[in-house]
Amino acid sequence: MMLHVENLQKTFDGFAAVSDAQLEVEKGEVVAVIGPNGAGKTTLFNLITGQLKADGGSIIFKDENLACMTPYEICRRGISRSFQIVNIFSRLTVFENVRVAVMSYNKRTFNLFSRAKDIDVSETGDILKSVGLFEKAGRISGSLSHGDQKVLEMAVALGNRPEFLILDEPTAGMSPEETRNALELMKLLSRDRGITILFCEHDMELVFSVANRIMVMQHGRTIIQGEPEVVRKDRQVQEAYLGGPDELF
Amino acid sequence: MVKAILSDSRALKAFGAGVAVFILLLFVPCFLPRFHVYLLGLIFTTGLLAVSLNLVLGLGGMYQFHHAVFYGIGAYTVALVITKTTLSPWIGFLLAPFVSALFSLFIGLICVRLSKLYFGMLQISLGSLVWAVVFRWYSFTGGDDGIHGISVPGIISSTSGAYYFSLILTVICLLAMQRIVNSPFGRSFQAVRDNPVRSEAVGINVKRLQLTGMVISGAFAGIAGSMFVVIEGSVFPELMFWTLSLEIIIMCLLGGWFTFLGPMLGAAIIVLLRTFVGIYTEYWTIILGFVLMLLILFLPQGVLGYFLEKFERSGMKQAQEEK
Amino acid sequence: MDFASNITVSALFQQTLVGLSRTTILFIVASGLSLILGVLRIPNVAHGSLYMIGAFIMYSVNLFFGGGQAGFWMAVLLSPVAVALISLAVERGLFQHLYEREHLMLLLFTFSITLVFGDLVKMIWGSDYRSVDLPAAFQGFFTVFGFPFPRYNLLLIIIGPVVASGLWFLTNKTRIGKIARAAAVDREMVGAIGINVSLIFAAVFVIGCFLAGLGGALVAPTQNIRQGMDHAIIIEAFLIVIMGGLGNIWGALLGALIFGLTDSIGVLVLPQFAIVFPYVVVVIALLFCPKGLLKSTW
Repeated sequence: MMLHVENLQKTFDGFAAVSDAQLEVEKGEVVAVIGPNGAGKTTLFNLITGQLKADGGSIIFKDENLACMTPYEICRRGISRSFQIVNIFSRLTVFENVRVAVMSYNKRTFNLFSRAKDIDVSETGDILKSVGLFEKAGRISGSLSHGDQKVLEMAVALGNRPEFLILDEPTAGMSPEETRNALELMKLLSRDRGITILFCEHDMELVFSVANRIMVMQHGRTIIQGEPEVVRKDRQVQEAYLGGPDELF
Repeated sequence: MVKAILSDSRALKAFGAGVAVFILLLFVPCFLPRFHVYLLGLIFTTGLLAVSLNLVLGLGGMYQFHHAVFYGIGAYTVALVITKTTLSPWIGFLLAPFVSALFSLFIGLICVRLSKLYFGMLQISLGSLVWAVVFRWYSFTGGDDGIHGISVPGIISSTSGAYYFSLILTVICLLAMQRIVNSPFGRSFQAVRDNPVRSEAVGINVKRLQLTGMVISGAFAGIAGSMFVVIEGSVFPELMFWTLSLEIIIMCLLGGWFTFLGPMLGAAIIVLLRTFVGIYTEYWTIILGFVLMLLILFLPQGVLGYFLEKFERSGMKQAQEEK
Repeated sequence: MDFASNITVSALFQQTLVGLSRTTILFIVASGLSLILGVLRIPNVAHGSLYMIGAFIMYSVNLFFGGGQAGFWMAVLLSPVAVALISLAVERGLFQHLYEREHLMLLLFTFSITLVFGDLVKMIWGSDYRSVDLPAAFQGFFTVFGFPFPRYNLLLIIIGPVVASGLWFLTNKTRIGKIARAAAVDREMVGAIGINVSLIFAAVFVIGCFLAGLGGALVAPTQNIRQGMDHAIIIEAFLIVIMGGLGNIWGALLGALIFGLTDSIGVLVLPQFAIVFPYVVVVIALLFCPKGLLKSTW
């Protein structure tokens, strides 16, 4: 098993954002985390990638416990992520945004005297081409449309050549067409490059069309994790969404 | 493609202008009066100090509130090696950047755990501690009097000798710093300024990067300090008083902290303002105060930053029209 | 241990009293600074200038009334009020447009005010040292353990707790204090429930600056009034506020106590480096509690 999260807990000022999260991800899988707003999905992701420190429980990634590591250490173990609220280098160009990640992956961050201008150009270009942002490489990223910024979010995450990619609501705020493109990209990454993907999303159609397995969270707890069909039929899940099965999916 | 050529020709132009200015500056002592030559040396020194600060302040976005400490330590290193030891004075000049870098490392190790205002305040406390020790340790540092009449090696003791010393050191340091700014390190540093959280998420060890930045910046400040000794022949605790640190920040602001040479321009403006307004009135700081207020209210990107922005905008317009 | 030979119980007691009177001044100035930092988030370097102006106005008013009890009390009363009026003008004229700026810009802006005030003081009062004569009642000494202890210092030690309880009352028991504390935590929320935050901010700023003026007025009789006293006090006040916890009045009191006492007792241990000790203590405190000893409002 690639990632195994057990009994994970996180409390903010007495409020248990994550109280008992369980998650299993096998290599090569695409796993979705769903649940109502405030279920603790983003907190869970922040715990896995080290932006937050867990109060209890364990996060085992390839036999190592990530719970006590810093975000950059976790990143170097092959986990990369995008953020729900756009979190890019907004004053840098699109190209530099991705190159920073590529240079970091290639361990050039502390290289003081070579010229950054000529470094990792083709690798960065390839990533931008693969997500369809190459035409806009010279733009200041803060001036991009929201949809493009979300795509850039993903491109920056790809700069680290992840084995394991975490996407926090990758299509939130995107137009239908942009959503379709993002979906294609996710399928491509999974199929052609063999990247393991963990994501959360409100768009159920999208979730059920790409995910191999689905984990459902409510009030900071994992209700169930399983195949889409199993999850779809689960009573608890239907109750969690406060509606009948028809309204849900 | 067009853009690449455009930026290349611009870089070439800038390089040519730089060489021309350097050659002009080489001949300055032949035709300018001695006082002006001295003043230019002082501008280089202060300018180098400001550019070194901007490495962490402008590029890295760190609140380096007490940069003057590293300047003062560089100056005192040279002064103490010359007056307290029998070593060659040149050893002092070699040591200055290392001692400053060492202090940067110590202070940095303590400070980088924090960020923004807390970082700056902790740095001010540590810097003030260094200042207080220097201010009181009469037997070693000369206390509040400082050390005067430091005899630097003959070749750089004359006004023009000191001038050439500061000119050449400044040029070398500026080239080195520009290289660093444009290196992968510099780019990463910029990314950290923009978004530290994301930087860490893409695998950058932010604290270590900031610490490295501080050490580099401190070393260059130390070199500037050693230049000060050559030009003035004395050191005193005011060199590491916190008001000087704020003055250097003002220079960066004045020139524009998103530009490489802006702080140099800011330093020149302040040194000239102090010298020439100081001739007419003893109240030159009130003028500086008003200038600074207006600047913050109306021109927060600085003088050079402002013109560059205008320049770029007109350039973009032109390019669009050509299309 | 040669360097500690002059530490005796009585000397320790006497230096503690000296330290406590110093603490009063430091606390009054630092609490004002802390208030402004905590609520308005302005690192107000000009606080030191207002302290200096307070001292100079104290000198002038005292002179105007011909000294004595009348002159002294009028001056102690009037100079903080004058400083408060100056700060009101500065806040309404300049600061209220700048609240959204970065801390760095605010710091530089207040520094520019420091530059302007510094020269204005030089223009008005000149560069000579000034001093204030105390009324006869406060002159002279008490004898404590056979050591003379200045009466005025005792007055200061009494004033300290008075100001502290006044501030406590203001922040905890009055409407404006409660709103200000709420605004310190969440500015938008307070604005959203229909309170004029701008006026609250102005009030807090003025009260903070009033304290700077009061500190200056009270310190005037104990030392030379001169240019540069603004630079000296502000750095100490900042360190105290940082050590105590930004925006926490009790933190300011604790910080001032530690600062004042290490300074005065340090004199007994190693006179030459007495001014170094408070800085060392601040650094040690911040090493272990980087965000201050008490809870900050940030």
